[in-house]
Amino acid sequence: MTQLTRGAFALPGTSLDFKTGNWRSTGKPVHVHAAAPCHSACPAGEDQQAWLAYMQQGQAEAAWRELVAANPLPAITGRVCPHPCETACNRSTTDGALAIHNIERWLGDEAIKHNWAYPVAAPADDAPEVAIIGAGPGGLSAAYHCLRNGLKPVIFEASPEAGGLLRSAIPATRLPRDVLDAEVSRLLALEGLTLHSSKRLGRDVYLDQLQKQYAAVILSPGCQAAWDWDVRGAVPGDLHEGLHLLKEFMDHGAFPEAKNVVVHGGGNTAIDICRLLKRSGAMRVTLVTASGLPGPDTDPADLINVVPRELTEALEEGIEIIDHATINRLILRGSQTTGVEIASLRKIRGVDGRKRRVTFEGTERIIEADMVVPCIGEKVDPEGLESLMNGRAYLAPTDDAGHLANAHTYALGDARGDRGTVAGAIGDGLKAVAAIAVDLAAVQSAAQEIRPELPAEKLNPVYFEVSSRTLAPTLPVAERDFETEIEGDIGRTAAMAEAARCMSCGNCLACDNCWTLCPDNAVLKTQAVTADGSHYVFDLDYCKGCGICAAECPSGFIQMAAED
Amino acid sequence: MAPDMNKLRDEQPRFCGLESGHRACQGCGEALAARLVMEGAGPDVMVANATGCLEVFTTAWPQSSWQVPWMHSLFENAPAIASGMDAAMKAKGKNTKVLAFGGDGSTYDIGFQALSGMLERHHNILYVCYDNEAYMNTGIQRSSSTPHAAATTTSPAGKESMGKRHLKKDMLSIIAAHHIPFAASASVAYPADLQRKVRYAMGIEGPTFLVVHSPCPLGWKHDSAATIEVARRAVECGLFPLVELERGTVANVMPIRNRRPVVDYLSLQGRFGHLFKAGDPRAEEERDHLQALADYNIETYGLSGQTDDNLDTTGAGIVRRGGGGA
Amino acid sequence: MREALEGSQAVAKAVSLCKPDVVSAYPITPQTHIVENLSKLVADGDLHTEFVSVESEFSAASVVLGAAAAGARAYTASSSQGVLLMAEVLFNAAGMRIPLVMTVANRAVSAPLSIWNDHADSMAVRDSGWIQIHCENNQEAVDSSIQAFRITQETEIPVMVCMDGFILTHTMEVIDIPEQAMVDAWLPAFHFSRSLDPASPKSIGTLVTPEFFTEVRHSHHEAMRKSLSVIQDTDASWEKASGRACGGLLTVEGETDAKIGIIAMGSTVGTLREGHHRHPESGAAKLIKLRTFRPFPAEAIRQAVAGLDHLIVIDRALSPGLGGILGSEVAATLCGVENAPKLHNHVLGLGGRDIPETIYADLLASVEDPDIPAFSIFDNQPNKLAPEDR
Repeated sequence: MTQLTRGAFALPGTSLDFKTGNWRSTGKPVHVHAAAPCHSACPAGEDQQAWLAYMQQGQAEAAWRELVAANPLPAITGRVCPHPCETACNRSTTDGALAIHNIERWLGDEAIKHNWAYPVAAPADDAPEVAIIGAGPGGLSAAYHCLRNGLKPVIFEASPEAGGLLRSAIPATRLPRDVLDAEVSRLLALEGLTLHSSKRLGRDVYLDQLQKQYAAVILSPGCQAAWDWDVRGAVPGDLHEGLHLLKEFMDHGAFPEAKNVVVHGGGNTAIDICRLLKRSGAMRVTLVTASGLPGPDTDPADLINVVPRELTEALEEGIEIIDHATINRLILRGSQTTGVEIASLRKIRGVDGRKRRVTFEGTERIIEADMVVPCIGEKVDPEGLESLMNGRAYLAPTDDAGHLANAHTYALGDARGDRGTVAGAIGDGLKAVAAIAVDLAAVQSAAQEIRPELPAEKLNPVYFEVSSRTLAPTLPVAERDFETEIEGDIGRTAAMAEAARCMSCGNCLACDNCWTLCPDNAVLKTQAVTADGSHYVFDLDYCKGCGICAAECPSGFIQMAAED
Repeated sequence: MAPDMNKLRDEQPRFCGLESGHRACQGCGEALAARLVMEGAGPDVMVANATGCLEVFTTAWPQSSWQVPWMHSLFENAPAIASGMDAAMKAKGKNTKVLAFGGDGSTYDIGFQALSGMLERHHNILYVCYDNEAYMNTGIQRSSSTPHAAATTTSPAGKESMGKRHLKKDMLSIIAAHHIPFAASASVAYPADLQRKVRYAMGIEGPTFLVVHSPCPLGWKHDSAATIEVARRAVECGLFPLVELERGTVANVMPIRNRRPVVDYLSLQGRFGHLFKAGDPRAEEERDHLQALADYNIETYGLSGQTDDNLDTTGAGIVRRGGGGA
Repeated sequence: MREALEGSQAVAKAVSLCKPDVVSAYPITPQTHIVENLSKLVADGDLHTEFVSVESEFSAASVVLGAAAAGARAYTASSSQGVLLMAEVLFNAAGMRIPLVMTVANRAVSAPLSIWNDHADSMAVRDSGWIQIHCENNQEAVDSSIQAFRITQETEIPVMVCMDGFILTHTMEVIDIPEQAMVDAWLPAFHFSRSLDPASPKSIGTLVTPEFFTEVRHSHHEAMRKSLSVIQDTDASWEKASGRACGGLLTVEGETDAKIGIIAMGSTVGTLREGHHRHPESGAAKLIKLRTFRPFPAEAIRQAVAGLDHLIVIDRALSPGLGGILGSEVAATLCGVENAPKLHNHVLGLGGRDIPETIYADLLASVEDPDIPAFSIFDNQPNKLAPEDR
């Protein structure tokens, strides 16, 4: 029985006996470690929010180490990736996406400069060996992740040098040779990694042998064979397929002479070809593509699949692009091209739901051309892989990890047919090796935590300083040549400043907002890290569920959820 | 492993003057303001609290949320009670700082005289007015602090009325006329700024005055989760200027970097709902009037921020990884 | 030390001897001289106190309430309108059981406006929960004021010392002002167990629900009843120390075998005694000086009036529509008592109307006069009113 005090005074803090937590009716606050959209979008599976968090604390090397937990080639991807992370970045809804790509490049360059050690250890002498076909980005990534998982990678590369498409098909103006060589050689120097160059599958090594000798086989051969191209059956005598032309140029530094070139196709390779042809002296270079160019009404599915700045630079350099068009007819004199007839075209979804190309009668026109370069994509060269290909254009893995029907054999990268980026190949390497590690250890793989992606609406942007994204310096058109890198470095200061713009979507900033703004003193700070990885707990005995903490959480880490 | 909550509560790295378990509504701006003020004031204080929401929701006998010596007497005499406490402290040679708390009803209306007397006599007291712009505890009746055109139960909107006819009393000008060492307005949307002003006032020997804009989800009719956003917009549109006065002259203001139109603020609150009735010409006139009042404040106090000042409405709210914003 | 002093000045000195930590007041006739005298004592360095000149009586009472809550000995004084203005605070202080001392220089309450004496002000707050002590003369005002500081500390009930405005406050008398050393020895240092202290925080003035409110009131009522003996013991102790008593709860004097008694409060008692001495032929009567009005000393009154055939109750205040206030309370006290005297309740001296010393004879004569009802405003002159207002 409560007894009265004289004058009915009350003792301090006794309201703690009154648990206002049972007032909650609409929901309680929870910590949701959502995936930042950059992480969800990254084909290599990088956790950009995590390494940007290190940058925000001024720890560049720690940031690089977090980055290379997924992607061992940041100096390269930081130059050639189409950065879907930036497209997905929630900050694009306020004052501009983070320049993640530029920061990644800077980190990659810093690692090379300071020779930061990759977070790998040499595998045990008796560690299982994994055979890898192809020392392109997919194969190199697979080799790296083998070392991270305590496996021994053995790479078989058909060319004399490692690098794959990076070396053969990307111009030095986008990926300087010295950077490529530095990054790749640092990787190849890791203890426990073996590279056999100039060894071709189907000639020097055989698939069935490898499958017998090695614990697992990873196939990352890329797509070396061009798709056949003709226009109503006609093909010019001087047909130069795009990728082949590019490789020739990368090797020999010269193109066949032409004044008016028409390149047919879309994609980064087509743009690269256009720009190199123009720089080599062609008077006019025109790209004819079925896709659309960026605009306010462009359907993303219809958009030309080119890294935006590459497109910008191409237009700066005078490349003409005719979008939503196709080559209808070749104008030949003998077997020499003199022109092409083009017509407007759209990819239209038919009654069956599938897209087909529809050319519009009455839109035909002729443009002068003395060289036509088809650049419509490549497929896997079946040499050595006949047993797996069965006449198909690509290897057909059964899942995301790249499992092929045959035991312990995996397909990565462009060869899968459903990839198209260096980052995608790198991501495949990680996933395949993770699956291999699980297989070999005969353990169940950890259930993949499906983290929900954090939408922009859940952020509270008022708490972030308004600042526009940094712009990387670009070489003026007049100064561009074949060797000098066109896009420049942003430097340490800008990299740090740009990293500071990261809003940590779905991750606690430890900004103290929830702790400061709870009217009921129901958010408590902890020294120890809690189960959800933060330093705050909700005291649900007193939380009334008002929702202020969730509304004012800058990064959307706090959300209101139904009571269980 | 779940932490021991009681132990954790005791180890919080800040002073807790207002504990959990109080009966304030969900999202109460006044509870938040009082908690923030107490944090800035520290344990060596005694509080004289007028009748009102804060007093009622913190001290239902036998429970009290206060961790400091605290007294509630009547509705209109908190400044006088505090004066007595101050006199007692002087007589006994003690340094304990006296705080007086009152809502806008107590401060602007029924306790106005006592406040003026307290200021004139230059007591060493920090007076904090928790301004939720009506007599909330008794059921949302208008006070002289209720803004023009706001609906309350004694100034409802209807065929013959567009809410409160009169203007919000210009309390700061009245306080300014007392020429006390320091007076300021603050808002729960800018907690670091509020605590800076509390700490500054605590260090002054003499009377100081703070009016804290405290949104009331129930009375202003907004979502309980929107309390901070509502308070922020009030400052950003100019209707609640954040200013500091020393001896009656404006010494500092929080510049508004990106002005909002007043409708951004009004539209969040049901008490201004009648100002958005389509086809009602009176509604447009009142919106314009409120915009004019905001413009007037911005001009009078020079609130336009020309440059990016990290103490402006945007800068004051910026969070940093790892906290420590203030 | 004996001095010729104005009543107000004497009370100021008495209060000063008790060394209050905080004094706060708002001027109102006829209390003004008390406060002015205290101010002068402060200005001359004779009294070291925090003197807070407030902007209304409401604030004056609030200031001393806050000061006492914070552990200070505190004092205020008021009259009439001021007492009514601070009424809310008076109830508040008593309800919180805060020790305070206040001098009420009794004055009539407006309207009509009057600056002269009657008891309307202290009567209006008789239910506030304060102890109310009346003074017959300025010596008692001094002695009762000093006693009040000890009573309030011991009982934790605030004490109101009532003295008739102008009649006592503005009258010069020879008064024995006690020595500081004697008061220092007799009055303990101020101590309040529930004072506000950061070392042991408490929240006072809480909201109490129906579940407990009754018990708070009961406890206060019991404390008031227990204070009857504290008041008596304090007066006895004071008598030992000073040689003077104030009368405890009440005193009885006059012919022991008298069958008529007169009970009154305040300066009227002195007038009655003087009238009795000058006109012994008017008859024998017992004179009962009621010193303590709250708590109401029912038992002491019953004992004092035992054996009387008639009891004249003098009121210096009126409850319009009821009649006399003291009269009604005495009547209630005697209700059901065997052989209770016949009551004659008369109101006198409203608004400062002089009560002459011949009143003693007039009152005694009125006992047998059938034209004078059981209750009357004794000195009413109805021909001053229009017929319809009589």
